[in-house]
Amino acid sequence: MSLSPWQNELTKIKAFAFKNWIMTRRNVFTLFEILFWPVVGFLSVGLLAEFTQLQPEMRAFILVGVISMGAVQVCQLDVCYALLYDVWSKAVKHGFIAPVGIRHLLLGSLIMGVIRGTVVFLILMVASLLLFKFNFMLPGIAPFSLFALGLFLNGAMVGMLVSILVLVFGNRAEVAAWSLVSLMLLVCGIYYPVSILPRWVQLGAELIPLTYFLEYFRQFYGFPPAFSHVLARAYLMVLAYLCLEVFLMKVALRRAKRKGILLKLSE
Amino acid sequence: MEFAVEMEGVHKTFVFGWPRKKKKHALRGVDLSVPKGAFWGILGPNGAGKTTLLSVLANLLTADQGRVLVLGEDIRTRAMAIRPRINLSSGHANFPWSMTVQENLQYYAMLYGLSGKRRKLKVEELLAIFDLRDFAKTPFDGLSTGTKQKLSLAKALLNDPELLFLDEPTVGLDPDVARRVRETIRTIHREKGTTILMTTHNMREAEILCKKIAFIKEGTIKAFGRPRDLKETLHLGDTVTLFFDKGISLPSLEAMTGIYDLQKADGTCRITVDDHRKRLPQILDFFVRKGVPIRNLSIQEADLEDVFITLAK
Repeated sequence: MSLSPWQNELTKIKAFAFKNWIMTRRNVFTLFEILFWPVVGFLSVGLLAEFTQLQPEMRAFILVGVISMGAVQVCQLDVCYALLYDVWSKAVKHGFIAPVGIRHLLLGSLIMGVIRGTVVFLILMVASLLLFKFNFMLPGIAPFSLFALGLFLNGAMVGMLVSILVLVFGNRAEVAAWSLVSLMLLVCGIYYPVSILPRWVQLGAELIPLTYFLEYFRQFYGFPPAFSHVLARAYLMVLAYLCLEVFLMKVALRRAKRKGILLKLSE
Repeated sequence: MEFAVEMEGVHKTFVFGWPRKKKKHALRGVDLSVPKGAFWGILGPNGAGKTTLLSVLANLLTADQGRVLVLGEDIRTRAMAIRPRINLSSGHANFPWSMTVQENLQYYAMLYGLSGKRRKLKVEELLAIFDLRDFAKTPFDGLSTGTKQKLSLAKALLNDPELLFLDEPTVGLDPDVARRVRETIRTIHREKGTTILMTTHNMREAEILCKKIAFIKEGTIKAFGRPRDLKETLHLGDTVTLFFDKGISLPSLEAMTGIYDLQKADGTCRITVDDHRKRLPQILDFFVRKGVPIRNLSIQEADLEDVFITLAK
């Protein structure tokens, strides 16, 4: 009995989620990514905010940034892990000889990214409430859900970019999995408003959807957004980038097949 | 005749190095047509282009020039229609390290769209065929080379491929495991009628398994045919060595047909003939008629290794 096209699609998407799930369960470093680094980062920044006796709204500004960053980072790692696990195990060719498309890789790994990102959110939200009396859910369920979904899409966007770089430059580019997010941390206004940055950096920040998602969520803590229609702008931008990245990944894959990079990644 | 693979004038060049770019011509105008249901071998020295050839057919590499049809479809434009119908197993098997044998098979089965009961049954079937049941819960990292190779073959059969590429399937295996792997490959070919294209360095393996051999060197197919035909084409023949009493004068054999080479020394005569089964009775009869007593004799058949060495020179 043959599967319906939808079942077939879902099975292939499930495959990537399954691989990331098993690898997450079996590798200690993935546990560190959920528990250790986000919590350490959150505690450091939270304690610094306590020490400097920041106004409650300023503290909220910073904690929104640090909690969001933890979730984006974990989610983007999951998306790029879909390819990097194969690169590290030198099994790239087995994945690419199978009848799967980029959409399966992206959606399957994003499922795990959302799950792991949600775990990070929950841990940091509870910790912020208990340790710093900061209520992350103050804006309400709907704004929070829209914000969280936006962050996960942002993570997917960064993860895809890393995958494209790996297909273009080989495993030298895997360092981007950890460095790109740090660059965003600098530009998108995680710990400070974008307005304090030099104008040319601000222009860069305006091209990154995370900037608008943070602006959207911080407005509920008394920081009016510097742009109009921030949420619509953020979603349009992140979806446009994802479509562009799917296209670029196809181009990168074609190039990798032309240059022999897929084989090199399997050696 | 229906073909599983049709290649015409296929070229592939790798460009590497920076800032001074270097070129390596991996394939130079390869023509190859493999009929459906065939089991053919691709032989050649290291760096000859064997793996490149398989990779082009498996859609892991794009040819620079030429036409490639796989199962009747153009690999450039119809790759997504071809991929569910082909699969690949390579020597030095590599899979996600933390996943067990069963999980690896489940994962790759899902990539081919197998779900639910169908997937479960297929994985169970392959675990049984390849004697992998005892290792089902062992992570890939904990497997021996032989078991990893069996997993690689099992993975390659998840989608019941019509065309299977085997890239040095027994490399690094001990003789006993290699023999069992070969038997399994042969059974799969016989029972399922799968078209198999295999690269190997093991001449004996190629001779046992492959009906026809394409010998590739420096990116071109230098020779092609049945192993026996290749030996004949290259005039390798079989060597018959006759031993006589020392000092005896040996009559001239040059006029006899089917002789490729003749070397005489004191008490021995090495004769290379096209086919020892045909020529040995004539040779023995000749010496009996000449009254020269033969003390002993030995026969050495030419094998694919001789073909390989001759062509690789």
